[in-house]
Amino acid sequence: MRITRMWAIFLLGVPVALLIAYFIVPFTVVAITSLQAEDGSWTLANYARLVGDSYYLETLLLTFEVSLWVVVSTFLVGYPLAYFMTFVVRNRLLRRLFYVIVVVPLFTSNIVRAFGWMVLLGRKGMVNDILLSLGLIDRPMQLLFSKVSIVIGLSYIMTPFMVLTIASVLQNIDRSLQEASRDLGAGAFETFLKVTFPLSLPGVVAGSLIVFTLSVSAYVTPAILSGGKEIVTSMLIFQQYASVFNFPFGAALAVGLLLTTLLLISLYLLAVEKKVKST
Amino acid sequence: MIRLKPRYSSDRFGGLLLSGFAWLAIAYMALPLVVIVSISFTETAYLKFPPQGFTLRWYTQFLSDPSYVSAIWLSAKLAIMATAIALLLGVPAALVLSRVSFPGNTAIAALFLSPLILPVIVIGVAILQYASALGFARTFGALLAGHVVIVIPYIVRTCLASLSGLDRSLEEASQDLGASPLETFFLVTLPQIKPGVIAGAVFALIISWINVELSIFNTTANLVPIPVKLFNYIQYSVDPMIAAVSATTIYVAIVVVAALDFMVGLDKVTASR
Repeated sequence: MRITRMWAIFLLGVPVALLIAYFIVPFTVVAITSLQAEDGSWTLANYARLVGDSYYLETLLLTFEVSLWVVVSTFLVGYPLAYFMTFVVRNRLLRRLFYVIVVVPLFTSNIVRAFGWMVLLGRKGMVNDILLSLGLIDRPMQLLFSKVSIVIGLSYIMTPFMVLTIASVLQNIDRSLQEASRDLGAGAFETFLKVTFPLSLPGVVAGSLIVFTLSVSAYVTPAILSGGKEIVTSMLIFQQYASVFNFPFGAALAVGLLLTTLLLISLYLLAVEKKVKST
Repeated sequence: MIRLKPRYSSDRFGGLLLSGFAWLAIAYMALPLVVIVSISFTETAYLKFPPQGFTLRWYTQFLSDPSYVSAIWLSAKLAIMATAIALLLGVPAALVLSRVSFPGNTAIAALFLSPLILPVIVIGVAILQYASALGFARTFGALLAGHVVIVIPYIVRTCLASLSGLDRSLEEASQDLGASPLETFFLVTLPQIKPGVIAGAVFALIISWINVELSIFNTTANLVPIPVKLFNYIQYSVDPMIAAVSATTIYVAIVVVAALDFMVGLDKVTASR
């Protein structure tokens, strides 16, 4: 379809203007605020406070530590599930059912999902019941309101992203490569290790990036499942904006979180780039 | 089709292990939702799993509370309006981006997708600060604009994906036969990218419908979308009524997902993401 210059400018211009007005400008306002003192003068004090106080650094570290565990656990759960849905389930109805079960949580509010885990992880919850009846523990564990419950809750929320990203890459793998490997005498596991898995790496990389960025910035799930006992950075940002009303420091926290996340992502991409390319 | 017929006993063992694990994983995906739905019917006044008895009392209780009904209504209005605006802006934008090459093309495409990588909580505070400065903070307009910004990437992305795989000769034929660009768009292009548009719209609806992080900074006592209301409630107490509200949002999700699967096919949608 031929689109005239005028139309192109109009059709792109309106949404771009909206994004500039409601995304670029507001974000610039946040960045500028972070460089101001509460009286409006320019300062780096907000960042100095962020870097100087071990409390904030420990919070940031906890945020990244939790997110890393979430990436690892969603990979461990998500990869086999994606593999199973793509290559093993041959019944079309069953495959659709699997997809629906993976996607429905994605369409359900984080609060509702966190609520489900509150019930499951409580002192009298099902997880404790099962562990007790298996004899693995002799009295109920404090699972809720801890680092563990944040990791469990976030992993649950992020698993669909990991499964769907990996499954979409697995679907596009040329199956004749797997058949060739089998015909040349490789076992199923060897074929997986030497053919399928290397080909699926881009999906694993994309999935872990999505899961990591979403986990780092997640607010609702940690807020509910930590019970305020374990503080992650997004909770500090919320506090500064909504109850302390120290916008400049809240802004510095937000910018700091964003910059460290981008830095970690770039390092990760640099590290995996060679491996993904060489396959 | 790859043959997974086991050739060695170790293959069979591996296959069984994989199947067992996958079934466990899918049970894990369903479990928290099953728990909430089932406790929403309990006759006890506290959360009880497995539930005792069966009652619809908690559903009638929340449906007779006008503050819940208006919160649901506000969320629905927000989601529908944000999606409609994002479609009006996003579909033509994707069309232009995929058809017209000009300097800055990739930069603009990146701009459309960038709200995806920025933490939503940061967009939320940014809009609050910005709208306060301009004097329209905590209004429906500020809330709506924020929702449009966070849902637009989903529409642009799925439309770009559909457009990139499109055979353009049909469009050319249509225009050679005398159809105007607008007629060509509605009669030829749009029907072909319909799955992408539907998928993007469904994602946009849902992202808006479940959003807390952005909304929470832009609400007032009279302007509370249902997820924010749930969030505020759950932090202080949990009871079977809140399970009924939560369960209702799960039913909505199931209906939407089933409709999406029926219209487009979930595996296709998720593959184009």
